[in-house]
Amino acid sequence: MELGQQRKINKVLVANRGEIAVRIIRACRDLGINTVAVYSDADRSSLHVRYADEAVHIGPPPPRESYLRIDKILEAARRTGADAIHPGYGFLSEREAFAQAVIDEGILFIGPPPSAIATMGDKQKARETVKRAGVPVVPGTDPGLRDDELLNAAIHIGFPLIVKAAAGGGGKGMRVVRRAEDLPDALNMARREAESAFGDGTVYIEKLVEGARHIEFQILADMHGNTIHLGERECSIQRRHQKLVEESPSTFVDPDLRRRMGEMAIRAAEAVGYVNAGTIECLVDKDKHFYFLEMNTRLQVEHPVTELVTGVDLVKEQIRIARGRRMGPTESVLEPKGWAIECRINAEDPYNNFIPSVGTVSTLIVPTGPGVRVDSGVYSGYEITPYYDSMIAKLICWGDDRPEAMLRMRRALEEFKIMGLNHNIPFHQNLLNSFNFIAGKIDTKFVEERFSMDVFEHPATDEELEAAAIAATLFAHRNRQLAGQVVTRGERDTSNWKWLSRWERIHR
Amino acid sequence: MKYITTINGKRFEIDVDKDGRVLVNGEPREIDFRALDVSLFSMIIQDKSYELVIEERDNSVQISMHGRVLTGEVLDERAQLLLTRKAGSTGGSGEVSIKSPMPGLIVAILVSEGDTIKQGQTVVILESMKMQNELRAPREGTVQRISVQPGQTVEQGKLLITIT
Repeated sequence: MELGQQRKINKVLVANRGEIAVRIIRACRDLGINTVAVYSDADRSSLHVRYADEAVHIGPPPPRESYLRIDKILEAARRTGADAIHPGYGFLSEREAFAQAVIDEGILFIGPPPSAIATMGDKQKARETVKRAGVPVVPGTDPGLRDDELLNAAIHIGFPLIVKAAAGGGGKGMRVVRRAEDLPDALNMARREAESAFGDGTVYIEKLVEGARHIEFQILADMHGNTIHLGERECSIQRRHQKLVEESPSTFVDPDLRRRMGEMAIRAAEAVGYVNAGTIECLVDKDKHFYFLEMNTRLQVEHPVTELVTGVDLVKEQIRIARGRRMGPTESVLEPKGWAIECRINAEDPYNNFIPSVGTVSTLIVPTGPGVRVDSGVYSGYEITPYYDSMIAKLICWGDDRPEAMLRMRRALEEFKIMGLNHNIPFHQNLLNSFNFIAGKIDTKFVEERFSMDVFEHPATDEELEAAAIAATLFAHRNRQLAGQVVTRGERDTSNWKWLSRWERIHR
Repeated sequence: MKYITTINGKRFEIDVDKDGRVLVNGEPREIDFRALDVSLFSMIIQDKSYELVIEERDNSVQISMHGRVLTGEVLDERAQLLLTRKAGSTGGSGEVSIKSPMPGLIVAILVSEGDTIKQGQTVVILESMKMQNELRAPREGTVQRISVQPGQTVEQGKLLITIT
């Protein structure tokens, strides 16, 4: 699109499901834009289908047969006359081919240019590109070096370091090496693992940043050459690379670090000609050295914490930017207002190794009140299926400062009632009781290595146990009596409705 | 009606008479218990107010109260009698089966039939909800039977491994 040329958006197709689809539909409704949902067989009754103006069925439950089918999504857009597509997060949101196909169809893609998605999607290319722009990256080698070259490079980089598979992901082909003499064995094992997992044994090495925090910066860029950041999000509370709690700002980031990291994030985004909302993920070590990790070229799950401390509606801005208008905020946010924390409420059992739980949400009572926001795609009666991720809701609390945000989060977690399956609310409650979290002493290994569900659990008091016992007994007693009534009713030889109408006729 | 109610392992004898009066371990309690919805209740005990969600799940009662879920069991006199009679015949260790907690794909089975295993040892890796999940042994024992193979898709509740 030419600079300064603006396009109207009348109808947005949301190429996603769950809470993020609902979130996007809400932003569209706020803007008076019509919405189209797409859905698989498993999602016919989902909230995003119910909230949208139009809904198009796109196939069976497995994502590769529905939400990942570019052809079906474009067909749905054609059928409904949608003039823009929002990809959400996950699924097709970071596929260059999808963004390009949407544009080729003459439809606006609410996201970055395909070229930016492509560059940032290739780990090695992304590193090289941002490095040229003066952005610090974790010291490491290119993939494909011989063992002797890697050994030389290792001495240069220093130990500890980590061997990674070029095709990698999910921890496969990864080895931490602390001493030079262990490197040859580690290389062999990583190669074998990578070969069997990905069919590609190419490895590279990278410095291991110990005690690192995961801190990311929200970027917003429009087509008029403006690129700003909206401050940081602290995402160190994670388990197996899955984020569980995010907050903004971070207890670890002082104004000077925020300014420096923010400038770095803007440079990284500008290096790929970035437009729209994106996130620069960084590792920050205990001495506040920061390293570019990757850029997520889409809206993030944890975007609400930024919204609450900046007052910016990110989805609305995404749509504005895609239309070719200037974005609302004009300056980077160096002083966030208050504090926001997000807890991801997942259908996972924290007492049983976080095993996912499927089934029907039989009761859902959602917290409300001052400073509380819930983004969710479920309702009571909703069935959590094994086809998609296990997130039930995002609970986001805002406070004037971090203690107030934490206290509100505790209160909201207590109000939140989810029954019918196991969920991780007890994990969040225990986390909020842990001294390390309260003190902000966290890093990416905290949950896996130094947190236990036993330490901060407040057991129920005797008084509470007795109250629960009485309630359970009265519940059972009541059900018995109701069951008894059903039997007596059944003894009548006609149905109650017939009986009632006869009775009414007699008494007319 | 007399009930034996166990909550989180603690046992209470609760008597509910015809007029709805409640005795806990022989002592009277002043209780106002109201049903607000199918599973939503409000209870006031001696001026203390509780909001409760109570549901039956997997043969037990789950009570959501003060932001936590407590699990319990309510037995009436007849059920207690049956249980005491049955208790004589069962006992000892017996078989334990590991069942699939959710539908998914068996990625790997980390034990073989005849293996001695420890409590908490990972025995099966099950992929579901885009995650690889480790299923662990509920107690120590010997793997008696493996009922699935790697690569197999399983339904929720499918028997995977039997331990004796």
